[in-house]
This record gives sequence, C-alpha cells and structure tokens, in this order.
Amino acid sequence: MNFKSKIVLLVVMLMNITLFAQEDYTIKGVVTSQVDSSPLPGVSVVIKNTTTGTSTDFDGNYTIRVKRGNVLIFSFLGYETKSITVTNQKTLNVVLSEDSNVLDEVVVVGYGTQKKSHLTGAISKVKNEKLDQIAVSRVDDALVGQVSGVNIQATEGEAGSAPTIRIRGTGSITGDSSPLIVVDGIVVDSDFLGSLDMNDVDSFEILKDAASSAIYGSRGGNGVILITTKVGVEGKTKYSFSSYTGYKTARQSDSYYFTVAETAKAELAANGVLSDRTKYKQLLGVDNNWQNIIFNGGAITNQSFSARGGNKKLKFSTALNYLHDEGVLLTDDYKKYSLKLQADYKVNKKLTVGVSVSPSYTNKRRFDGSTHDILRQPSWLPLYLDANTIRFVNRLRDGGKYANAKIGDYAIQRMFDDYDLVNGVPVASGGTDISNTSNTNPAAKVLERNRREFRKKLFGSLYAKYKVADGINFKTSFSGDYQQTRGSRYQGVLSSRNGASASRLDSTMRKSFHLASDNVLTYSRTINQHEINAVLGFSAERTRVEYESIQGSVFKDDSSPFISSAASITNQNQYEYVNTLMSYFTRVNYAYDNKYLASFSFRRDGSSVFGPNTKYGNFMAVSAGWNLEKEDFLVDNQYINKLKLRVSYGVTGNNAFRTGNPLVDNYPYLAILDNTKTGVSGGNSALVVNPLNIANPDLTWERQIEFNPGIDFGFFNNRISGSIDYYTRTSDQLLLYNPISSTTGFTNALVNLGEVENKGIEVEFRTKNINIKGFKWSSTLIASKNKNTLTDFADSNGQIQNVDSKRAAEWINLQGNPISSFYGWVVDKEIPLEYISNPYHPIGANAQDVYVRDLNGDGLIDDDDKTILGNPYPDLVWSITNDFKINNFDISFMFQGSFGAEVRNMGDQYIFNQFNSAQDFISTTPNQQFIKQKIFTNSIIQDASYIALRNVNIGFNFTKDMLSKLKFSKARLYVSAQNLMYLTAKGYTGFNPESINTTSSTTYGYQRAGSPVFSTISMGVNIEF
Amino acid sequence: MKQIKIVTLIALAMFVSSCEKTFLSPELTSGFNSESFYKTEAEIEAAVVNMYDGIQGVNALKITGSTLNHGVQIEFYLTEMRSDNTRTKSSEGEAAQFESYTVESTNGIVADYYRSYYNIIYRANTILENLDAASASAKAKFEAEAKFVRAYAYFNLVRLFGDVPLVDKVISPLDKETAFTRVAKSTIYNLIVTDLQFAKDNLDDTYKDRASKAGAEGILAKVFLTLGRYGEAQSLCESIMNPSRGFSLQNNFKDIFYNEGNSEVIYSVGYLAGVNNDSQNFSAEWLNSVGRGSGVNYVTADARTAIDAMGGNRKLFSYREDQGQAGQYQVVKYLPNGDTNLGIPVTSSDPTSAGNDWIVLRYADVLLMHVEAILAGGASTTSSNAINSFKQVRMRAGINTPVTSITKMDLLNERRVELAFENQRLFDLVRFGEAQNILGAFSTANGLGFSSTDLLLPIPQVEIGLSNGKLSQNPGY
Repeated sequence: MNFKSKIVLLVVMLMNITLFAQEDYTIKGVVTSQVDSSPLPGVSVVIKNTTTGTSTDFDGNYTIRVKRGNVLIFSFLGYETKSITVTNQKTLNVVLSEDSNVLDEVVVVGYGTQKKSHLTGAISKVKNEKLDQIAVSRVDDALVGQVSGVNIQATEGEAGSAPTIRIRGTGSITGDSSPLIVVDGIVVDSDFLGSLDMNDVDSFEILKDAASSAIYGSRGGNGVILITTKVGVEGKTKYSFSSYTGYKTARQSDSYYFTVAETAKAELAANGVLSDRTKYKQLLGVDNNWQNIIFNGGAITNQSFSARGGNKKLKFSTALNYLHDEGVLLTDDYKKYSLKLQADYKVNKKLTVGVSVSPSYTNKRRFDGSTHDILRQPSWLPLYLDANTIRFVNRLRDGGKYANAKIGDYAIQRMFDDYDLVNGVPVASGGTDISNTSNTNPAAKVLERNRREFRKKLFGSLYAKYKVADGINFKTSFSGDYQQTRGSRYQGVLSSRNGASASRLDSTMRKSFHLASDNVLTYSRTINQHEINAVLGFSAERTRVEYESIQGSVFKDDSSPFISSAASITNQNQYEYVNTLMSYFTRVNYAYDNKYLASFSFRRDGSSVFGPNTKYGNFMAVSAGWNLEKEDFLVDNQYINKLKLRVSYGVTGNNAFRTGNPLVDNYPYLAILDNTKTGVSGGNSALVVNPLNIANPDLTWERQIEFNPGIDFGFFNNRISGSIDYYTRTSDQLLLYNPISSTTGFTNALVNLGEVENKGIEVEFRTKNINIKGFKWSSTLIASKNKNTLTDFADSNGQIQNVDSKRAAEWINLQGNPISSFYGWVVDKEIPLEYISNPYHPIGANAQDVYVRDLNGDGLIDDDDKTILGNPYPDLVWSITNDFKINNFDISFMFQGSFGAEVRNMGDQYIFNQFNSAQDFISTTPNQQFIKQKIFTNSIIQDASYIALRNVNIGFNFTKDMLSKLKFSKARLYVSAQNLMYLTAKGYTGFNPESINTTSSTTYGYQRAGSPVFSTISMGVNIEF
Repeated sequence: MKQIKIVTLIALAMFVSSCEKTFLSPELTSGFNSESFYKTEAEIEAAVVNMYDGIQGVNALKITGSTLNHGVQIEFYLTEMRSDNTRTKSSEGEAAQFESYTVESTNGIVADYYRSYYNIIYRANTILENLDAASASAKAKFEAEAKFVRAYAYFNLVRLFGDVPLVDKVISPLDKETAFTRVAKSTIYNLIVTDLQFAKDNLDDTYKDRASKAGAEGILAKVFLTLGRYGEAQSLCESIMNPSRGFSLQNNFKDIFYNEGNSEVIYSVGYLAGVNNDSQNFSAEWLNSVGRGSGVNYVTADARTAIDAMGGNRKLFSYREDQGQAGQYQVVKYLPNGDTNLGIPVTSSDPTSAGNDWIVLRYADVLLMHVEAILAGGASTTSSNAINSFKQVRMRAGINTPVTSITKMDLLNERRVELAFENQRLFDLVRFGEAQNILGAFSTANGLGFSSTDLLLPIPQVEIGLSNGKLSQNPGY
C-alpha cells in the first residue's frame, strides 16, 4: 500500500468516526428514467464508501437508512451514475439520464471480458431476459432467431435432442461444424447444453468472426458460444422460483393424408366404378390418420428454484431445476434434473477462490422408429383388431401365421390379404390383396420398443485468482466433468414381423472423464490515453472415454426384457480412448483515447488427434476499430451517438471429425485393426483382425481464414441502433471423410482436401419506436445472408455420392457451387394417369415415375442429362421481434424465417412408391426412354423456406401493492407460445422443412420424412422474494 | 516473494514441456494397429481368416449399416436371379431388377457385391504385404491362401463385370489411376491363373472352408474352361478325382447340404448358427415370412420344368411349394429351419441367423467340369472317361439310363439340375455360349427385357460418380 492510499484510508476512517456521531434515519424515493419518466427497477443504491446498499423495486422505489452527509450513489446499467449527498431530505427522488455510451456494457470474450465499445470483432450478446419463458427442453432451442449469423435448426424433433447450430454457414465439411461451447470460461462438450438450466443462464455471447474466436485456436473454427451463468451478488439473499407448463401439438402434413373415402371418390369419378380393392377397403370401415396416432402430442413442464446472495467475503448461487418434456411423438419422453452450487470466497485483498459443482441427471425415452414408416401405412389399416376388423383376418395365408389373431392384437397389413369379396370370407389364395408391405403395425414398431438413455453428469470446477500486482492478475482453474451414459434398447417380440427371432436388447455404457486446467495471466493498465489489456495463458485438457456394450438376442416373450433372458449374447464390444489438447495463447488489446482500437491474438494448439508430424497448429488474428463518435467532429453531434468501424482478420482451425468409429476419430494416424469380430476356420470360430481405416499420418488441422469488416451504430439518442457485418470465411485443408473408390478396400478415407468459402452479410437493427410513460414499443430485426461455395476440390471435384444405396438419389460436390448440391434429372411432366397401373392403390393417383428432360437433346436419358437441382443451405435467415410494454403488461412476439434452402424429401418416395420395380406404368406408355423414378429428379427437391411465429409472450408484472401483500419483490405471470403459426413453401409436402437427417456434409439436406414441427402453448410464473 | 514466483513459473514451464510429448501422444489401449501387428504367425493367421470372413459377408438381418459388405450372401441376386432359375416372389424393390433384366447402375446390391469383392481382394493384398514374420513354410502357405482368395474374387468380378480395375497390391486413395482404370479381361485372367497356380502348388487339402490344393485346382479348372484351355482343365480335374485325394459324391443328394464338411465339399464358405458375426441370412431370405417377407430366389416355372424332367431324385431336395402361399416355389437347399416332410433337420434355431455353409465348389461340379474339358467346346463326346464322370453324377440322382454320348446341351442341362440354385447357372450359360439363346427365349416367353448387354452388370454408379468421368460404363447402362 502506497502512501497516497494510506492517507485516503485514514481520511475515510476519520470521516466514519465523525459520521458515527450522527443519528441515522430512513430516506426513500423513486428512481425514474429521464427518457420517458418511467420508474427504473433494479437500480443500485449504495452509500458511498460503505457496503450498505439496496436496489429499487419494480416501481423504482427504494428505502435506505442513512445519516446526514452520506453520499448516495445511484447506478444502473445503461444510465449515467449519479451521486447525491444526503442533507436532511426524507424523500429523495432521482432522475437518471441514459448514458451516452449506452452500448458500453461489458462483454465476455475468450479468457476475459472487454468493454463493448472496445470490441473489434463480431460478437453478439443475448441477455436472458425472457429466454427462460420459452417452453423448450434445451437452452440452445431458445436461441433461435436471437442472433444474426447463427442458424439453429431443430433437425431432430425428439424431446431433448440437440438442434443443429451453424455459425456463419457450414465451414467445415466433416462431421462436425458445431460451435465450441464455453460455460463460465470452461470449455465443455456441446452435450452440456442438454443439462444446463436456462433459468441459471445470465447471458450468451457468440463469437462469430475468426478474430474473436482465434484465442480458442483449433476449437474456434466454427464459432464459439460463451455462456455466463448467474452469480450471487452482495446483499440480501434473493430467492426466485419459476415454473411453466405447456402443451405441444405436432403440425401434420395434409399432403400425406389420404383417406379411403377420398380415394374412392376420385376413383369413382374417373372410372365410374370402384375397384375390388377399394370396395374391400371400404368394407373394413377404418379410416385412420396415422399422423394422429404417431404424433400424439405432449406436455412440457419446468420448475426452477434458485437462491443467490452473499456478503463482501462470500457469494453464492444455487439453482435447482426439473424439466419434463413428453415430446410430440409416441413414446418420446425427456426428464432432466439439475442442481448447481457455486461459491466465491475472497480470502484476502489479493486472493479469491471459487468452486462450482453441478450434478445433473437426464432420463430420455426415444421414439425408436422413423416417421417415414407412417407414410407406408394406408388409412384402412386399424391400429388394433376389433370385433369388426377381426372378421377379415386371413387365418389360412402365410402358413397360418395369423391363425391365432384375436381382438386387441396389432393389425398387420398382410392379415387382410386374399379376401373373397363375393363370398365375404378370407381364402387361402386368389382373393383380393390390399397390403403393400409385410411390415408389422407402425405403432407396434414404436410401442413395442423401449429405447432409453440415462445420463448422469457431474461437472465441477475450482479456481483461484490472485492479484499479483496492480493490473496484473493470475487465475488458475481446474475443472472436471464426469459423464455416465447408460443406453438400453429393447426391441420386443411384437415390434417386428419376424417376431421373437428379431427381438433383442442392446445395453451400452459410456463413461467419459474430462479434465481441464486453464492458467491465465492478465494485465491491464491505463496510462494517460493508452489502455492496454493483455492475456497470456496455458491450458491443457484430457478426455478419456470408456465404452462397453452387450447385445442379447431372441427373447421368448416380452415378460423379461433383461439380458439374462436372451437366448444368446450376440454382440459385445468394448473400447477406450484418450484425447488431449495442450495450448499456449496470448492476446493484446490496445485502445487509444477510446477512439482507436487494436487487438492481436495468437494460439498454439497441440492435439493428440494428429500424428507426430502435424501435432501443432498456430492460429493468429488481428483486428482494429475506430470509434468515430468520439472524434471532435462528431462528439457534439446530437444525432449520432455511436458509430464504430471495425475490421478483423483471423485464422482458426478444426480438429474434429466423425468417421463413425471413435477409435479412428482419435487415432487417425494409425491403421486400426478391428479385433471384435470372429471368423470361421475349419468349422470353428476363429479370431480375425480387420483393418478399419486407411492411416493418414499427415492428417492435419483444417483452417478457417476469415475477414470481417463491420460497423456498429446508434442514432437519435440510440433510438436506432445496430450493427452490420460483412464476412468472407475461407475454410481450407478441409478435414474430410471423403468417399473413395471401393477398389481400395474402403469406401471412405480421411484427408485434408479442398476449400470452401462462406460469404455473407449480417444485420442487427434495433429501434425504440415509442418510449413514453406507460407505453413502450421496441423492435429488433435480425437478418443473415450467407452464400456457400466450394472453391477448390482438387481431383475430387465433381464427385457424386448417395446416402442410401436403395434410394440412390445423388449429391454432387462441384466447384463453383455449394458444397452439397442435389444432383439428378429435371422433371418434364407427369405420366398421365391412364398409363399408371393400379392408379388408386395403395394410395391415390400418384406415379412413382415421371418423364424427365433430355437436357442435351441426344434422344436418351443418361448421366449427361443430370444437373444441379438445388442446395440445402438457406440464403437468408431472419427474425423480427416486437416488444411492447403497457403499464404492467408486456407483449412480445417474434417472427422467424428462412429462405432459399431446399431439402430432398424422401418422404414422397415412401408414400407414393408402389414398392414394385415392375414399373408402375403400363407397357403401352409412350416415350418410356424418358421415364425415370421421381427420387432421381427434382420432383422431391422441395423448397424448405418457412415463416414461423416463433415466439409469443404475454406477461403481467404484479403491481407494487400486490407484491407487498404477497411479500414478493417481483412476480410475473405469462403465457407463451411457440410456432403458433408455421408457413411452409408451396410444394413442400413433408412434416418439417427444418428436419434433416444426419449425413456427411458433402451429402447434406436429406430428409427421410423427418420429425414434425410442433407448436407449444404454455403458462408460467416467475417469482422473486 | 518475487523470486518464489519466478522459480514457480520456471518449474511449471519445465514440468509442462517435459510431459508435453507424452501428454499429447496417448497410447492406443484398445485394439491393435497395423504397424505393430502381423509380428507373429498367429497374428498373420488372424488376418488370413479375415479374408474368408470377407467372403462370408455380414448377416444383414442381424447387423445393419449402409456400407457393410455382404460378400457371397448376396451373390444369388447377381447370378441365379439373372438366369432362368429364380426370381423374386413379388417383384418388389431393386431385387426384382435382376430377374426382369432392368438392372440399373444405381442398384445397391450390385454396388455391395463390387465393394465386397474388392474388399476381399484388399484383405488378400494386405496379407501379401505382411508376411515377413512367418517362417518359410508358413509364409508359402499364407501366400498361397491369399492368392487363392484374390483369384477367386477376381474370377467372379471379371465374369460379372467384364474388364475391371486390377488391384494387386494395397493402393492408396490417391491412386485413382489404378482405382478407375478398367483392365482387359485377359490381363485379369493372367493374374487369376498365376495366383491359382501358386496356390495349388503350395497348399494341401486340410481345409474345406479355407483355401486348399483341391479348391485351387478346381477353380483353376473352371478358369481354364472359361478360357478354352481344356487340356489343362482336364488334368486339374483328374488330379482332384484321384481317389487318394479322398473326394467323393455323397450317396444322398440331401446330405451334400445338410452334412457340413462332407467328402463332396471341396471349398465352402463357413457359417456358424446363432452367431451374429458369422451367420448368414440368405437361407432365410429365400423363404416366405422368415426373412424379409418379400421372398427372393424363388424358383421359376422354367427351372421347375427342367428339374422335373431331368432331376431324378434331386427334385425333392431342390425345390418345394411355399407352405405359406400356394403356387410359389422355394429352394430346398440350405433350409435353416428344416422340413419334417423331407427329413431335413433344423440347422439353426433362429433361421435369420443361419449356420448353413455355402458351397462354392463340390465334387459333382468337378466331375461335370471333367466332362466339359473332354468335350472341349465340341458338340458332343463319346469319350468313356467323360461318360464315366457324367454317369457318376446321374446315378447318384437315381438316373440309370444308359449314356453313349454326351452333347453340349446334355451337359448344360445336367449342370443346371445338379447345381441348381448354387450360383452356377448364369456362368454356365455364358461359358457354354448359350446365354444369348436360352435367356433370350426365356425372356421372350416371360415378357422380360433381356438383351445381350444384360450379360454384364453395370459398373456401380457410385464408382462412376467418384471417378469424374474416368471409369467407363458397360454398354447398355
């Protein structure tokens, strides 16, 4: 302690002594905003140089015990801090004016924080204001439409399943283009979002450009999402409780619902008579909508409780959460229990330590089927046999397979074949057949399977922060994450047409241990107008995964679905692997006079994934900014409050890829031999070893090089503010599990190949339209435009692939076009109905084939007539949010949409295909050489654009009187709804244009029926006391 | 204080740099990698068995995945169902493209077979490059096995696809020249002949489900018949027919298929019932409602007529009426769940996980090849050697009518009924030069779309797509 500060301390102490003599009394008042005279809740009111303080309530009221001569400091984020000396007022009303530097909040960045006005990269911040009122089961689901440049797509619709998150398009074209997730400074796996409680989240910061994420080096290539959780603040302990319950219903596809009645009508109109099949279907008297049965809707409920508080030495934060999401699909169910305990302790002036522990448990039952199965089911098929339908069951056919059918059994299509319409009895052969699949009942396939996932997770971290000297801090933290996931998948006897022989139980156990150590030295100093912030750090991480699985097959019945009851153990597997990362990093931020800004960062990563030659990657970034509004020529301008130009350039990387085999993913420089299989030698089982992959010792980091100029602005007292960013992101040395000729013995190999460019513009535009007492209206427009181009693909340029050899629709990876482009023939015209054999069976009047165009005019249809048919990447993703505040009510709604993407909707194939390769057009059909199956054409390439009323939230905030009666400090009741309206593009026939199956990035955009869009309506309450 | 800090920092830095190397290179603790493997004969043997495991293929009803190799289990689609012997029961799906001669280049089964057999070749080439640790005698034996397997795979590929890429070593994915260059059939046959000659010279008759001397001789004999080198084929057959070798016909036709490893079997692909990794599903696929339910490899009326007329007592154990559906006929060979009427035992308690071995080469085939070699492409033969071999096969079938001369058609028909549903018919028709006539007539009679270009399968579209125009397609696709 230097001399000067000692003097100050002495003076303060003396003052205290003098003040001590005086009497204290209660002062009260209202704090309002200068802008619209509305009361400001949550304003901090502190007596200067003491720890005594309070904050204003919802109506801006405060009361505090003071003595004459005390100085009260009123501070509130976004407003100028005001200090007022207490004379002997009993009431002290205060008007706070907005800080001209309103945007100058603090933003969390990699390994530190930064003033927003000093940012030179593209970072978006989302505060959790009402995100926790959106009834979704995962925190990332709530971020849809909140941030420009971030596309969050519910590609799988199951409760608790992770959405696909892409920041600035698909850069990497390997299995992993997901952003890095960092919670309170600690890198976690993306899975962590599944156990996080939204009520405990304070804010999200999304690092979008390479300059911002380069400090994360190889992990930052796909952008970074930084999550800050709520911490305890000094003062009285605050308790909060929130709860909501909602109901979810699935959006159905009208295009996929055909009734027997409609088909009969159409057939009658066309032919004047009904075919035997239609007559028979009518006789059955069933007209099921299978979508109703499988998309059975569900409820979602969430309860959270938290307590936060502390004193000068110790601060704590705890949160407890329970969520139950039934999902909209049959059997789909997700439960989550989580707890967080966090404490920070200030040991002395120099040392602070902290600890955080969050255990969680999730229990998920999956929809163990596929929605495409529903499409194969005709509406005449009953779910269960009843007194009427049992009369039609054919007990003679199929070797008497259905001889014992009884009321209440699942109905199976084949049961109804060979019905003699004339005599009204089932016959052994020669009757009318109406089945189109031998599959069992589609509901049986779901209900008779039980696929569960139980995950226990314990995340904990410790840190110590030491003040080495003025402006120099050292923080070391150690964190650990233990996850245990047990999977159990029972496929019962009734779940398959093959009965007991197909029944099986798969039991898996995966344990992962992740340890990380981060050590960061920070330096910050202001010398005159020079402000320097520097970070120097070292971090090491280690993940160890252990996996075991066992499969038992053939169960007598479903009474004992345990491994011990299986007739035999048919598969066992066990493996383990270790993945490590060691990094050195630094960053220097410099600001001159708050006007001129510069930043430099560097990181060196060493990864266990790569071989000795390529273990290390170096990642560097530079950026600069200029706060124009601080310049003399603008500083007095009343209209321009903020105007910042910035530009950044950086290199990040990616070392993650998925080949489908975890050992190959972690040791790709080795040729791994699979030793889990057996072979036969001399009639006996014998050991075999089989090469799993082609070793690539030169495999190295994928790179992303990004250039990002941008502008931030605030006009008219910041009534209009926002930012515009332009970026070009070039990804090269792509880590690719690329298809190769099978003559090599393999179908794929890991390589570094090619270059992809993502170019785009992002706009965030916020306006305060009306801001008067009792009525506020603000709007936010967020839009991102991205264009994806494959710029180099070496000798793989033009490679064509499919994802399902049975439905071999193709993708092409062609330079100058998006990475994945749909490829095939162009539809010319439909085949007239008169040439279709059985046009009204199995469903109405749709052919599986179509005439295609002879593009090169050579009179035949071959590969040369194929062309690019579209791509799965949206051109524009946008959202518009309007917030209204009318006295104690607030209303907000967000429209969100996507424009320009296409999907390959294989759902059409499942419903319209007749499963018969003896073509469905008759032999006299003209120009047969121009006919191709629809799946190979643009007939199933459909516009995936949509507009959704993503969120509506109407809330009522309790008045002061009500609150004081209830002894609450805050209370809010709300109704919220998601996807109340959901419009899809013309020509889209499926359940959900956002749903996309997991395939490789070079074959993206495959929709195998997918899971439905659902809407949720919920009611909730938030209470704080 | 300051010094302590500096010392701590230095210590930390030293600690970090010293363990960095170990930290960043964790050992592979589960499984093996090829650099440290193949160091003992037992390890090489595991790789040798792996070749046969490749031919064995994956049981698609037990293990699912889009790029799995199904090996010989799907061969019947490409051979029997493209001949006049079998068809699908209900013309469903891509399986029906074979019988109707409308195979498309996107057909997944064709791609599967191509992929499977090149994978088998890769497994063989891997052994040929990792033999250093073996003793001289073991090395010769392992090398012979690898060459046998490689030749067997190429013989099937060249007959199904015509000119194919010649991969005789482990190639890298970057070697697109090799991967996408179709090499003339004659060059492929040169490799096949060289490999089989090495195999027959270095193997004995120990195994029936692995390469053997007799297996190499028998397949080489068929290669020579295909190439018109009849003299060489004849002496190879006679080598196997030497009684000292111990091969003989089973007395009962049924026993060939339900008595594994019997004296008639020369080379078969081994399966074990109830073991997911080592069982087969083709037996179940051929039945109604045991396999996929759609029924494949069902017997055509044409085949039934031939078997009824010429099969003798083989008829009973060749086909039967589908118990589930009148008017449909199933193959009786390799039944997994038995047939009490026929006295066939249940071989596999779970029919979808069948243990019936698949016979690639058996003694009756060798006897008939012997006849074919003596016939030497002629119209008929009266050679007593030929007649003797021919009669052995017929007498076992209970046909005792005297034979004084054998015409080409007699032999072709005899092969059809003796080896029905054993994936021989299509290759026989082509080798005898009768494919165009017989399949043409069969196609016309049944309203199918046969033309001469259907005798070769398309090169899988996926390979063409990856080759960027380098790999050429067969005519007609």
